[in-house]
Amino acid sequence: MNKRYDFSRALAEADRCLLCHDAPCSKGCPANTDPGKFIKKFKMQNIKGAIRTIKENNILGGACGILCPTARLCERECASSHLDRPIEIGKIQEFLIRHGRDIGFKVFEKPEPTKERVAIIGSGPAGLSCGAELAKRGYQITIFERMDEPGGVLRYGVPAYRFSKDYLKEELEDIIDLGVKFECSHPIQKEGEAEDLLTKGFEAVFIATGLWDAVNIFDDKPAGVYNSVAFLSSPHTDLADSVKDQVQGKRVAVIGGGSVAMDCAGYAQTLGAEDVYLIYRRSFNQMPAEADERIESLESDVHFLILNQPKEYVTEPSGKITGITLARTQLAPAKGDDRRAPVEVKDSLWTLDVDLVVEAIGNKAFENSDKVYPGVDTDDKNLIAVSLDDCKTSKQGIFAGGDIVRGPSLVVNAVQDGKTAADNIDAYLQQKRGSHE
Amino acid sequence: MNKKDIDLSINFCGVKFKNPFLLSSSPVSNSAEMVARSFEAGWSGVVFKTLNSDTTPIIHPSPRMNGLDYGNKRLVGLQNVEMISDRPLKDNLADFLYLKKKYPEHVLISSIMGFSNDEWAYLAKVSEDNGADMLELNFSCPHMSVEGAGHHVGKAFDLIEKFTATVKRAVSIPVMAKMTPNITDMNEPALYAKQGGADAIAAINTVSGISQIDLNVLTPKPNVFGLGSISGTSGPAVKPIGLRFISEMAKCKELSLPLSGIGGIETWVDALEYILLGSSTIQVTTGIIHYGYGIVEDLIEGLTDFMVEKKITKVEDLVGRALTNLTTTDNFDLKRQGRAEYDLEKCVGCGQCYTVCKDAGGFALEWDGEKRRPVLIEDKCLSCMICSFVCPVSDIISYKEMPSTWKREEAIVMGKDLEDQLNYQPFKQS
Repeated sequence: MNKRYDFSRALAEADRCLLCHDAPCSKGCPANTDPGKFIKKFKMQNIKGAIRTIKENNILGGACGILCPTARLCERECASSHLDRPIEIGKIQEFLIRHGRDIGFKVFEKPEPTKERVAIIGSGPAGLSCGAELAKRGYQITIFERMDEPGGVLRYGVPAYRFSKDYLKEELEDIIDLGVKFECSHPIQKEGEAEDLLTKGFEAVFIATGLWDAVNIFDDKPAGVYNSVAFLSSPHTDLADSVKDQVQGKRVAVIGGGSVAMDCAGYAQTLGAEDVYLIYRRSFNQMPAEADERIESLESDVHFLILNQPKEYVTEPSGKITGITLARTQLAPAKGDDRRAPVEVKDSLWTLDVDLVVEAIGNKAFENSDKVYPGVDTDDKNLIAVSLDDCKTSKQGIFAGGDIVRGPSLVVNAVQDGKTAADNIDAYLQQKRGSHE
Repeated sequence: MNKKDIDLSINFCGVKFKNPFLLSSSPVSNSAEMVARSFEAGWSGVVFKTLNSDTTPIIHPSPRMNGLDYGNKRLVGLQNVEMISDRPLKDNLADFLYLKKKYPEHVLISSIMGFSNDEWAYLAKVSEDNGADMLELNFSCPHMSVEGAGHHVGKAFDLIEKFTATVKRAVSIPVMAKMTPNITDMNEPALYAKQGGADAIAAINTVSGISQIDLNVLTPKPNVFGLGSISGTSGPAVKPIGLRFISEMAKCKELSLPLSGIGGIETWVDALEYILLGSSTIQVTTGIIHYGYGIVEDLIEGLTDFMVEKKITKVEDLVGRALTNLTTTDNFDLKRQGRAEYDLEKCVGCGQCYTVCKDAGGFALEWDGEKRRPVLIEDKCLSCMICSFVCPVSDIISYKEMPSTWKREEAIVMGKDLEDQLNYQPFKQS
């Protein structure tokens, strides 16, 4: 993977920045990050100012610097692209946040928690961003997390080789310093429980539970078949040892073509898999994963089996998986603006011998998750209906954002939802306060 | 004309150099082991690190140097508190013998610094007796911690004349005086050196300066165990100062001595600029400290290709060639005016031109936010050209002379409505 910047490398990259008037990069971030401003500050040796600029806008600035697909966000707009290549904005941002920690620079002073209590369900990027923003404004924040530790997708969804848990711990420290309280191993999953929080001392609730159920390929799941959620979170669960044993020195197949599939393949490699196959039924360029992720994955010797459709699992009598039957596909002619569809090639079935399979074709909301907030409108996929402009649900006092609203999306979008929700929760509670006076 | 027709050799004070490029007296010319490697690399000669006569113990401060950075660019300048050679005289002289034996065609210039008349004479004589082809009198080292030496002499003009005359009486080889730039006028001390019999002038030594303060301990760098000092600044940052002094001495008819140019030279372009303003040899230290002896290959190749292009066969035909076009600002023809000209085909839309024109120029640019392109209001352009200095693309902004009928728009007067409140009378010469 790409090396992180040190001071001189970050400065060299910042020196390439043209310091554009009305910087286009600053319009390319879903979370309103202002690279034009923080890079200028860095160049002017105003390093703390640069860190402040990032962090005040995005409490997860370091995580976003690492995880953002910058090539299609801020960096896509970079004027330097017209000279040769864009400024590596994400890497400069990540460096600055890390440098701030190295020099012990704290951006925020601890706020006085004088305002109302707000409950947040889920401690992923959306929940953290909302919690930090509200805490800065003096609200008393409790984040409920069903898992043992906070972080959501940052801890249980992204493999450590891409985003280390020590780094997450440091990002979380800033949030804890703001006075945000975490209630871990505390799922909010009983019927009506989310809405009941409004009667238990919380004046507003932000639902940011994310998507943690996996979409299945086949109904059956023989021993040795995992979904991406279980596989990627395994280092933090009781599956840790058994997954490791099943992968080390073995043949692993990952099914899917998105970023999560790339993460699963990479994680299997770090666990010491002998061979990792990536099975995808469409073409290389049709994969939803970012171009750099795909190329990195290819170069790290993941075997890409594109244009292959999984048909069924092959098992031994004990029920354990030994292979996958695949059909070769080819792309049908283009129809209008639709993606070219894969069509199976006749008599092309073949079997790939594998010891473990990871299904990584997407996440979805838990079944019956809508029952936890019966007064909140949801759609047929159990996604919560809100306008992303205000993150207000159909029930007063309840707000929602992140993947449980958007469907599978980026960390940076979740961060923005958290901020939007914080603004609107603040406005809602101010109004409520005013009407009581 | 091609490369083989080009003769880079030059006669300087009757001594033949195979090219104009020498090591200056500094850390890069500290020993024969180093100098030999520089000769192998292509340097034509050396001004050896300034000798001392073992009477004054020389102990260099530690650490000795500090780099001056600009953004990500390293060593735009160098700060240095190193003094003259700390080696025993006989070791240095043995190195002289070695160099002359092994490299008879290369020029060995002995830099010397005395603390008394006798010592100047002594060092001159031993240098000559052990193979030095020339002498350079160090009147300018800015970091000698001993009174009566280095730049202290360079500022006491009668001492320059006296010591030069002493040396001239002691030896028959040519003598060059190396000047400090830490004065307002170099021609005067140079004339004193000439009066004493100097055959050439070398300039500039390092510029007295402070390049950086360590903000954690509030101490200028190099931080020598808690203390810093004003010391010698060198490197690209001082080139304009060096070019200025060289050109002033070259223009001084009364002086009319050969000049050895020093100060911020790294590339053949820098070297050529010194030559065009009157230098016939070129001395380099900081460029070598930054990049090593190998840069001489590029000095030679670059200068040769330039001479081929301009059909000039001998370096001496370049010496001082830009001096006729060098004047003082009062001689400029102010009737001729122009403005910036924009060709936006290759524009990348960064808008730096717009920012600087607005905040430092004539506000002659508008910004088309939709297209991300500057729009020039021609009549407002001051022709400062700063837009072209910040533009990241070559050839977008050029200068265009305007016809004499063209009139520049005056800057807007914001207080037009307040003129009736003006408290002012036009100035009248009494």
